[in-house]
Amino acid sequence: MSTEPGIGRDEWVARSEERRQRGGFFGPGADLFMRLPWWLRWGTFVLVIALIPVLSSSGYVQRVAFDTLLYMLLALGLNVVVGWGGLLDLGYVAFYGFGAYLYAWLDSAQFDIHLPTLLAIPTVVAATAILGLLVGLPSRRLSGDYLAIVTLFFLQAFLTIMINGNSIFGVNLTNGANGIAGVDPISFFGHRLPVAHLGVFNIWYLYVALAFFVVVLVALRFVNDSRTGRAWRALREDPLAAELMSMPVNRLKLMAFMFGAATAGLTGALFVSLNAGVFPESFALPLLITIYAMVILGGAGSQAGVVLGAILVNVMLEVLRSPQHSRWVFYAAVLAALLGIVRPWKWLAVVLAGTVAFGFAVREVAHAIHPAWTAGATQGTDSVGRLIGHWVAVPTTLGSGKVIAYVALIAAILALTQLKGVKRMLWMIPTLYLGAFVWENVLAQKPEVTRFVLLGALLVGVMTTRPQGILGSARVEIV
Amino acid sequence: MKRRTGLFALLVALAALAVVAAAYAKPAKQAAPVAAVRSAAVPCSKAKIAIMAPLTGDAGFLGVEQLSWAKYAITVQNKLLGTKIGLYQGDTQLDPALASTLAQRYVSDPKTMAIIGPSTSGAVVATGPTLSAAKLAAISPSATRVSLTIGGDTVGNHFYRVVPHDGIQGPSDAAYMVNKLKAKKVYIVDDQETYSTGLADTATVALKAKGVTVIRDSVSQTVTDFSSIVTKVPGDTDVVFLPWQQPPRAQIFAQQMAEQGKKAKIFGSDGTNDPGKFKFKGALVSNFAPDITGIAQDKALIAGWLKANPGDKVGSFGPPTYGATQIAMLAIKAACDAGGGKVTRAAVLAQVPKVRVKQWILGDSWGGFSATHDPVGAKFYIFEIQADGSYKLVG
Amino acid sequence: MSNLVQFLVNGLTLGSVYALVALGYSMVYGILKLLNFAHGDVYMIGAYIGFGVLTAMGGAQNPAISIWLVLVVMFVVAMVGCAGLGVAIERFAYRPLRNAPRIAPLISALGVSFFLEYSAQLLFGASHRQYDAFSFGGGALFFKGINWGPLHVPLLRIIIIVSAFALMIALMLLVNRTRIGKAMRATSYDREAASMMGIDVDRVITITFIIGSALAGAAGVMFALRADASPLMGFNAGLKGFTAAVIGGIGSIPGAMLGGLLLGLFEALTQGYLSGRWSDLFVFAILIVMMIVRPTGLLGKADIKKV
Repeated sequence: MSTEPGIGRDEWVARSEERRQRGGFFGPGADLFMRLPWWLRWGTFVLVIALIPVLSSSGYVQRVAFDTLLYMLLALGLNVVVGWGGLLDLGYVAFYGFGAYLYAWLDSAQFDIHLPTLLAIPTVVAATAILGLLVGLPSRRLSGDYLAIVTLFFLQAFLTIMINGNSIFGVNLTNGANGIAGVDPISFFGHRLPVAHLGVFNIWYLYVALAFFVVVLVALRFVNDSRTGRAWRALREDPLAAELMSMPVNRLKLMAFMFGAATAGLTGALFVSLNAGVFPESFALPLLITIYAMVILGGAGSQAGVVLGAILVNVMLEVLRSPQHSRWVFYAAVLAALLGIVRPWKWLAVVLAGTVAFGFAVREVAHAIHPAWTAGATQGTDSVGRLIGHWVAVPTTLGSGKVIAYVALIAAILALTQLKGVKRMLWMIPTLYLGAFVWENVLAQKPEVTRFVLLGALLVGVMTTRPQGILGSARVEIV
Repeated sequence: MKRRTGLFALLVALAALAVVAAAYAKPAKQAAPVAAVRSAAVPCSKAKIAIMAPLTGDAGFLGVEQLSWAKYAITVQNKLLGTKIGLYQGDTQLDPALASTLAQRYVSDPKTMAIIGPSTSGAVVATGPTLSAAKLAAISPSATRVSLTIGGDTVGNHFYRVVPHDGIQGPSDAAYMVNKLKAKKVYIVDDQETYSTGLADTATVALKAKGVTVIRDSVSQTVTDFSSIVTKVPGDTDVVFLPWQQPPRAQIFAQQMAEQGKKAKIFGSDGTNDPGKFKFKGALVSNFAPDITGIAQDKALIAGWLKANPGDKVGSFGPPTYGATQIAMLAIKAACDAGGGKVTRAAVLAQVPKVRVKQWILGDSWGGFSATHDPVGAKFYIFEIQADGSYKLVG
Repeated sequence: MSNLVQFLVNGLTLGSVYALVALGYSMVYGILKLLNFAHGDVYMIGAYIGFGVLTAMGGAQNPAISIWLVLVVMFVVAMVGCAGLGVAIERFAYRPLRNAPRIAPLISALGVSFFLEYSAQLLFGASHRQYDAFSFGGGALFFKGINWGPLHVPLLRIIIIVSAFALMIALMLLVNRTRIGKAMRATSYDREAASMMGIDVDRVITITFIIGSALAGAAGVMFALRADASPLMGFNAGLKGFTAAVIGGIGSIPGAMLGGLLLGLFEALTQGYLSGRWSDLFVFAILIVMMIVRPTGLLGKADIKKV
């Protein structure tokens, strides 16, 4: 009997793997960790983040940690709307943008208002919550996909206003496409926190963001553990039944919107204060897609899941920027996947040894046929690159062969998902070599494009094998 | 319930304490590694240049072209100068906030000695404070907003650019329209992007000062069917000015003008300069440099680039990137020689204004930057597109 | 006044392309209740396939065979190629998620969209690929056509409008007059009941994707003939097509056609009579109001849920 969620199948059965004892190498440790009280688990996590400036003095790492914290905050907010409330809100980024612009209006030379941060941030949060309320009002009548559509249109309208807002009835609201620069940094009790010291990121911004993250996390968790959270869960699972049980469905939807919007507004204020400026290009659809990917990948409905999703996606995108790191990540991921898929150890050894041997054989044959077929050089001159260069055939030029190899690789991988048993193991060998070939010749040339290709592949791969996300719990949707 | 509230209050208090402590703590501990990074002397063989351009996204074609010329410059100049400078490529994705993180990345890497870019004016503003404080020279081949070097919000003395700003192009294009084309009515369409609106504004001011009727219109960057805009263009319009950065769209616009029988002349700004893409007969294009392929001293250079990039054509965003990279590498070499094999960022920044290039890729020679860190003696050349798609110099 | 007719023609051309893309969205939503965000990227691949075929046949300037034959071949190959792509996407990215919560195939679609867009940039480069339709037969496509006074309808536009309508009529005939069309309509009403009546639901879904993707491929070629092909063109077209499908009533085929044409006319008229700057905002404001007043769209069925 299949344990996948499906129409007519039981959710209790679908969640059976959550009740099993965790196996594997990390099993007992993970079980122990999950038995600790929640604040201890989260406390450890927060402590690790707080120690980042100690572990690495690179301003870049700290800045990426800050960016990831912003994404985590956004993911937590979206989790309220999508994960807990079950409302598909495709206009979430508009709240983020609104919070950012509002903070810029309150704390810059645009209208020459300079509110202290302790006044500005609550104002921004409250105002964005009200905006969330206003956007949520039409949602009372709309369900599911129609809500998604209206919120998407709202986002597009918001973006158009922000980009063209330099002459709304003669008033320069948003400075148009240039954005508003020169926003004041965060200041507490008159003491300013400069954005950077000698150009290097000021770590206290990381701590401010971390403090806000803790506050938001705890606040949302308490809301979720209360009767509001239970009502949200009921609303998500079956809105009609919830309404029949006299739950104030409309009010719950509005509350979900407001909490999500407030979180996004707060994040917007933080975002602007560090960047000392707000630019309309930051709030376009790609950001929305990224946040949704983070939330769903990690597991909507689980706070730990969305935080994990945010870290995974953002760190992956940053790490894959550099060609050397991306090579490491790629081969490590392939090996990890093999470890996961190929179960008996001897088969794993066979596949690996076979791939290596196959690779050398193909390279020799290619070299014999035409020396130019192996005369190219791999990207990067570090030792790993040179080692791989001896194994993978790298032609000097690969004109239209690129497209053929790429499409062949996709076809091979898709065929792999259809085969079983011995045939699958054997088919893995040429597929792995083709994968290394395509990596070295096509993907490694443009790491900034490759990272999005890999993100897309990751999304498809995770969704088809584990639709609930990494840390989500399996749901059976009432159709 | 009481326990929970207590716990919550405790957590909030801790968080607040941390934040308040942050406000009063002097970041003394951080100063040491920061100062170390800034004045770190790096052996010349490890020096790197970073290019910050939009390599993916809607402006991807721009960034990719700039990157290919920067890579080419690195190869050619390393051979000529005997250096081993490497290149980092950074994708700003057209988002100034991401550019800011990227700038932080390069500031934290002590090997980075100079930045080529950022390509977009928004990113220059966003990265200004960081790069300026780190004394990291940034030479941009395409950020043309006037206010970056002149006017209220200058970004800092680390920023240089090798292309003239919109304040020069607007009036010069307007002058040509009035003097040579005898235009009485001009229709300007901007694409809601900062380069476009800035240039449209300066051109409008210059045209109105000469008594020309100016009609402004705007399209969003996602629009490629301009039929309705074209229909709106009055039949007696003399010139349609397109201050865009996308040559293919200019070509589409010109074609749609022709199919509706509109007689106005199309005038594209330097962002539309691309003989491979914008080749509509009779249209005019302005550019800050004469046609690169026509300059005798660049023949070998262009041949080399074409060989390294088979199937590509020479556009207008690439050659300035070559020039900017060349200046950066010469500055690094000079700093290396003066520093006895080791180079620091401050030294490179000091050398940038002193660089001279005898055979400048955009024509003549490079005699240094002006007082406002702009190119000296910048003028714009107007080309007319011929029947075979080639650009002929007319002004 | 004369401008009005030209605006209407402009809107009709634009709308035809939108309608073809919207049809794919509507059909897939009708059967699977899935918003297929990868549809716009299938359209983009269609444009690139057309470019490939054109280049293989010598390009716009020296075609190996008559230019009209080249056009037909471009359309056919693009439609076939996109149909295959659509089937592959359905088979591997959506079929495993038939019974999963609705957001999972949505994210899978986003993943496919990312994958296609950036693969296209990886393989074909970021620069725009121009069909150079202007040189076809010495400019025949742009200058010949209906030219009555201020009204100009070039041959290319006539071709686009006529072929789009032909495809739409063919689709209507297929859906309303054939057995497979009846199976498609039945599956979109109630998938389980249809499978219980002996309809092979998997096959119907595959055929739906074939048709939807083929139409998107044709739309891609049509668009690229008037503009050009670039890796991110699918994003915007997808958004517009999706909007059009929503206007007409998502899930309804005549609705998608109507919605596409209306959206095209809307855009042309607001760009023409208002500033190009605010036309987007106006369109979205009208849409929001319409969605609140009548969420099922113009021709959509009222969504009556059985409890």
